[in-house]
Amino acid sequence: MSLLVTALAFALPVIFVLVPLAIFLVYSFFSVDQGTIVYAPTLGNYARFFTDPIFLPVFWNTIVLCLSVAIICILLAYPTAYFLTTLKGRWRYALLMLLLVPLLMSYVIKIYAIRSILGLNGFLNKALVTLGILEQPSTLFVFNMNAILLTLTLLLIPFAILPIFLSLERIPQTLLRASDDLGASGLQTFLRITLPLSLPGVASAASFVFVLAIGDFLTPQMVGGISGFTFGRILYSQFGTAYNWPFGAALSVALAIVVILAILIGERFGRNRGTSA
Amino acid sequence: MSQNSDLLTLRSVSKSYGKVPVLHDIDLSIRDGEFLTVLGPSGSGKTTVLRLIGGLEPLTSGEIRLDGNDISRMPINRRPFNTVFQDYALFPHMTVAGNVGYGLSVRHIKRKEIASRVAKALELVQLARFADRFPAQLSGGQRQRVALARALICQPRLILLDEPLAALDLELRRQMQEFLKSIQREIKTTFLFVTHDQEEAIGMADRICVMQAGHIRQLGTPHELYYRPNCEFVARFFGENNLVAGKLGRVQGEQRSIETALGRLVCSVSGQPGLKAAPDGASAFAAFRPEALRLAEARDGDNRFAGSIAELAFAGSSTIATITAGAEGVAQRLRLRMPSRIDGSALKSGETVSLSFAPNEGHLVLA
Repeated sequence: MSLLVTALAFALPVIFVLVPLAIFLVYSFFSVDQGTIVYAPTLGNYARFFTDPIFLPVFWNTIVLCLSVAIICILLAYPTAYFLTTLKGRWRYALLMLLLVPLLMSYVIKIYAIRSILGLNGFLNKALVTLGILEQPSTLFVFNMNAILLTLTLLLIPFAILPIFLSLERIPQTLLRASDDLGASGLQTFLRITLPLSLPGVASAASFVFVLAIGDFLTPQMVGGISGFTFGRILYSQFGTAYNWPFGAALSVALAIVVILAILIGERFGRNRGTSA
Repeated sequence: MSQNSDLLTLRSVSKSYGKVPVLHDIDLSIRDGEFLTVLGPSGSGKTTVLRLIGGLEPLTSGEIRLDGNDISRMPINRRPFNTVFQDYALFPHMTVAGNVGYGLSVRHIKRKEIASRVAKALELVQLARFADRFPAQLSGGQRQRVALARALICQPRLILLDEPLAALDLELRRQMQEFLKSIQREIKTTFLFVTHDQEEAIGMADRICVMQAGHIRQLGTPHELYYRPNCEFVARFFGENNLVAGKLGRVQGEQRSIETALGRLVCSVSGQPGLKAAPDGASAFAAFRPEALRLAEARDGDNRFAGSIAELAFAGSSTIATITAGAEGVAQRLRLRMPSRIDGSALKSGETVSLSFAPNEGHLVLA
């Protein structure tokens, strides 16, 4: 019985994670001819990825976009999480729950909602016009890169708040009291104790957000319009419209490498140098 | 620095958490340069005293004076005191040197000076080789010494120690006691040490302040507390003791008699005017230490009574006898401690013996 459980525990990740990844990797070395897959190994897909003037710039722009999303999410989530940890008892968790509730809602519905806020007749434009900041509604916020940036940030911010909150909450209060006791001001205590000890949380938050953002093709598809073209959309089109699975697989491998790197970097900085005081 | 000037004075200090009072009207003076131990069972308020002095918590009422100036409302980072926390509270992301130098670097002292003072402090606590380690790479005793070095590097007027040895095993605790005491003598800084362990208190303190239920019960040298406890709590809490209840009798010079289940006992009241003045017939206890009780000799007049040995326990250097004395119904259990001998004990279990203690080794406490 226990042997079966152990076997399953190893077999399930192998069957559902490693095998599909391996199939992808293998497919990326095949090619397509007239709509049928040619099962002969070739490096053609990778050569195309690196030489075609379209793919690399989009790939790079997408990475920059997702890094921006991660940075903005951190900048917004850190003060929020810090504020949460200053609350007492029940309020702290009640508010945290409220901030995490959006995670329970359908992803597509959230994108629709955000699109209608950002749109030409949306809340954002109406508010800006009413306040006199804009003369007339702007198309700056929807169907372009800005829209993707704003939408991804809004969608992913709960993923940044949670790890930062947890790492802040894990800092023993006596460390902060010890810092006070040794003569540090509130700001010094924050900069020299709280902030460095919460960096692991920041690193996990950043890698979460980055990985989720870079893998997303639905958001750019729905709010990106023509100018908001991301790597995820190219990938999607290779499997859907273009029906070039081997090339899609090669692009996926490139994306997977970036994702794995992001996770490794997050892991490297997410580790604490021994939390026990 | 003279031993007798007061460094810090607590005047009718009270503290409540919400509606729960934990300290009632505490008055306490800490002398410059002394090693003062606050001793009490858990819940006695001893840690609260330390936290109030350190500025970790605000007073409910009363005041704390440093050199005569009220510092009750001085923020924690301005007080010239440093604390050694119970769990050490070392910063896990800093090296030993970083931890120790922290108090200096937040005061914007030059790097060079910090480095030399850190080196000196680490030398003092014998950790010079460990400057570049992280706290997680140290043993409990080493972390303890880092915490001490970190507290003393700012040359505070007072070092507050909150049960710092509680997490260490017995052997290490003994070593650290001696170590703390020797460091205190070397740097001549006032130490306020909080503990629930009376053995620890006896071993290190110049003076001990015994607390119970938010009150100070007695403040004195270990010797005074051991031989002249002023109340039943201190007599029972501080060291092993035999207490026999009775009614006070006549005063004869520096002695007073007490009528107990063991007959009339005579004890010293020297230097205790309160006991001399107490009315005849008042309830009190005769108290005598296990090592004061012994087999009676022919010349003993006072404090003679018979007892039977219920149990004998060999405890290395000494042997402890549990004795039942007095008539049935009012029988008392007493303890007798005597040096062990290689050829076995002079006492046999079950034997009935005549016992005695010298009047000047017995004392009285009011019930």
